[in-house]
Amino acid sequence: MKGKLEPSVRQALVEEGKSLKEGLVALEEDLVHLTDKLQQEAQCIPNTTHPDAPIGSEENSILRRMVGSPRDFGFAVKDHLQLGKELDLFDFDAAAEVSGSKFYYLKNEAVLLEMGLINWALAEVSKRGFTPLITPEIVRSSVVEKCGFQPRGQNTQVYSIEGSDQCLIGTAEIPVGGIHMDSILPESSLPLKYVAYSHCFRTEAGAAGTATRGLYRVHQFSKVEMFVFCRPEDSDRYHEELIGIEEDLFASLGLHFKTLDMATGDLGAPAYRKFDVEAWMPGLDRYGEISSASNCTDYQSRRLGIRYRPSPSDPSQASSKKGKGSTPTQFVHTLNATACAVPRMIVCLLENFQQEDGSVLIPEPLRPFMGGLHVIRPKSK
Amino acid sequence: MISGGCLGGTTLHSLTLAPSRCRSAFLLSPLKTLTQTLATNPHRHHPMLPLPSILRAFSSPALPTASLATLEGQVAAKPQWRAAIDFKWIRDNKDVVAANVKNRNSSADLELVLELYEKFLSLQKEVERLRAERNIVANKMKGKLEPSVRQALVEEGKSLKEGLVALEEDLVHLTDKLQQEAQCIPNTTHPDAPIGSEENSILRRMVGSPRDFGFAVKDHLQLGKELDLFDFDAAAEVSGSKFYYLKNEAVLLEMGLINWALAEVSKRGFTPLITPEIVRSSVVEKCGFQPRGQNTQVYSIEGSDQCLIGTAEIPVGGIHMDSILPESSLPLKYVAYSHCFRTEAGAAGTATRGLYRVHQFSKVEMFVFCRPEDSDRYHEELIGIEEDLFASLGLHFKTLDMATGDLGAPAYRKFDVEAWMPGLDRYGEISSASNCTDYQSRRLGIRYRPSPSDPSQASSKKGKGSTPTQFVHTLNATACAVPRMIVCLLENFQQEDGSVLIPEPLRPFMGGLHVIRPKSK
Repeated sequence: MKGKLEPSVRQALVEEGKSLKEGLVALEEDLVHLTDKLQQEAQCIPNTTHPDAPIGSEENSILRRMVGSPRDFGFAVKDHLQLGKELDLFDFDAAAEVSGSKFYYLKNEAVLLEMGLINWALAEVSKRGFTPLITPEIVRSSVVEKCGFQPRGQNTQVYSIEGSDQCLIGTAEIPVGGIHMDSILPESSLPLKYVAYSHCFRTEAGAAGTATRGLYRVHQFSKVEMFVFCRPEDSDRYHEELIGIEEDLFASLGLHFKTLDMATGDLGAPAYRKFDVEAWMPGLDRYGEISSASNCTDYQSRRLGIRYRPSPSDPSQASSKKGKGSTPTQFVHTLNATACAVPRMIVCLLENFQQEDGSVLIPEPLRPFMGGLHVIRPKSK
Repeated sequence: MISGGCLGGTTLHSLTLAPSRCRSAFLLSPLKTLTQTLATNPHRHHPMLPLPSILRAFSSPALPTASLATLEGQVAAKPQWRAAIDFKWIRDNKDVVAANVKNRNSSADLELVLELYEKFLSLQKEVERLRAERNIVANKMKGKLEPSVRQALVEEGKSLKEGLVALEEDLVHLTDKLQQEAQCIPNTTHPDAPIGSEENSILRRMVGSPRDFGFAVKDHLQLGKELDLFDFDAAAEVSGSKFYYLKNEAVLLEMGLINWALAEVSKRGFTPLITPEIVRSSVVEKCGFQPRGQNTQVYSIEGSDQCLIGTAEIPVGGIHMDSILPESSLPLKYVAYSHCFRTEAGAAGTATRGLYRVHQFSKVEMFVFCRPEDSDRYHEELIGIEEDLFASLGLHFKTLDMATGDLGAPAYRKFDVEAWMPGLDRYGEISSASNCTDYQSRRLGIRYRPSPSDPSQASSKKGKGSTPTQFVHTLNATACAVPRMIVCLLENFQQEDGSVLIPEPLRPFMGGLHVIRPKSK
């Protein structure tokens, strides 16, 4: 319609343009709604799975490694609740009044134990080249979702803040993953390795049964978490490194545990592969999970928008096309692994290192972080 | 005294019990006038609701969860709990109470409380009178009677009962209203506490003096940036403003401060605690805070009656709620570590940059339960511990005896410590020590049983009930509020080369670290 036209020709073109425009507006609306629906459905598709990961339900998980063996006590073992009562270490009853069930106060040497475990885990992992972090425990719910959790589902594990779009974190994985959201990282900065200490809050909705006594399942706990951002070709290697660090840490405390390669039925949507560590808990007379190491490949980074710019492989490219846009960006891979989940470690330490006289020995690596304390003794009243 | 003037708003401890709480909890509509037996005040409407008549004593334990009745479009909520208020004492000392209410700028309505109390007493008397009459009628009906006489008595009994039921309902509602109004009355005030607004606070002690730097000082934000210690920007994306990540040596600093404070206070005879950070909102209220007021400092959990704590004072106070402690167990002294969460609603202005005012922080708190005659002494002990701790780190600070206008409702007396923050070029509050006397214990229901003073009593009346219980006194004091301590340490101990020296007492708790140095890139 740009040139000089006969009025009747122009009018016909105007009519045609208007009709095309109406059709276009309708189609564009359809496209938006279709894209939303496509996105919503596609976001439900779980991450791909490592070819070596066993297929099936939890019982199909494969034993990777067994360290130590159950201790032969020679006397009647007590569980951590009884030990805690006799050594005046916890108060669940007062916490039930003040806060509700599955809350607790730690007292006396249990405070030293928690602080010792956190300090020890931070020190041990920092010296392996991880940057220490202390993170927010309130985050926007969108960040929770981008990490692969569901703040608003029924039986959600996530506490929400009233009158706000914020939630309490269930793990430091969330604020650490979020620290680089919507960013493009230079390849030279990878891998980024963090060790983060935070309190964690979980509703434990839907968790019932015997495995809920005492410290085994609680609404609030301290945890030291490892998190890695890396190039895709490196994530398998860092997964092995993370599980290796965990196994070193737990072995150094003298714990008996097994490492499992988790079967597909037990992988959360974000995890490409997951290794769980289950430690022997004599008071419960079974193994209990104390740690989990997941390789989430690009599941979280595609949601959090975390990319890196590979360095140009061709040197001539580097000199001719400097600056942004020279190589296309890629999504990083993310991994997370528990260095220390304090309450379950306390269960392990109390139950495994109890003595016949009712005292509990402190493993040697923790003593410097507990003011030199060697043993928790019953108090004379 | 305090330049800037914007520090007074919300202290780390006692939060002023704002007036709105007292009005918002109850929206009672006058539905019926009183029955004719309460003709003394026919012009006053007493609120009534068609609830079952349950008469409750004042010092009863916490009430069950509120039940709501909708009537004529209005909703009224029964209180979840009652403070054990000494109404008689208030009435007998009303001039002192009135002056105190005025000095504290409280919106408590003492006249209304006194009026309601008088009504309560006469209504209670009336109820007792009717009960007595009904008993007489009941007794009369026990013997053999003429049918007509019996019938008349039955009628009389029935009429008395109806009147009694109505009066008892009135009494319940009157009690609720009296309680609601009386709970607004702030704690009494120590005779030595200065009267007036914050500027009238008195300097108790000054320790050290501002350091003469000899070079341009940086504030903690700039130091944090150069030393790669914090990230506020990423936290703003992930969580919102006034959140932060601590990184590298700042993590060691936080852990070092917590471990040091716990160790130092434990060795002074305090039992260490780690507490829940989610608590029932009723416990928050009983400590003197307002979870539901406008501009509340308190985060609430969606779909629950729970809140996040703003201070470990709350879960520690609650640890002995609804209990009777043996006198021999007192004093109970706790040092508690927790994270604290505060909305900081209504806090604006320059004093909000960086770590000075944040939504989440770590704090080590001291808490004492003691006998009433000992609380002044423990208040001095607590402020003494604080001063020792801060002096040992080499900080320059002043201790203030806070004026009545700055005391929160629970505090009988409050000492604040303000440390010199060269980057802010002023003093900033790093700690607060409050003696709450029996304000919190009357709400939390914490009593003790004095040991019998007369030895013959001890042998003749063993066990419960031998001496009447008393309310304990409670005190709380900040041993270490981590972010503000970090501000102090970074700003005061910065060196010309951009590094920061770690005070000697903290080094063993930081893996021996002596100095935070700029990183070479």
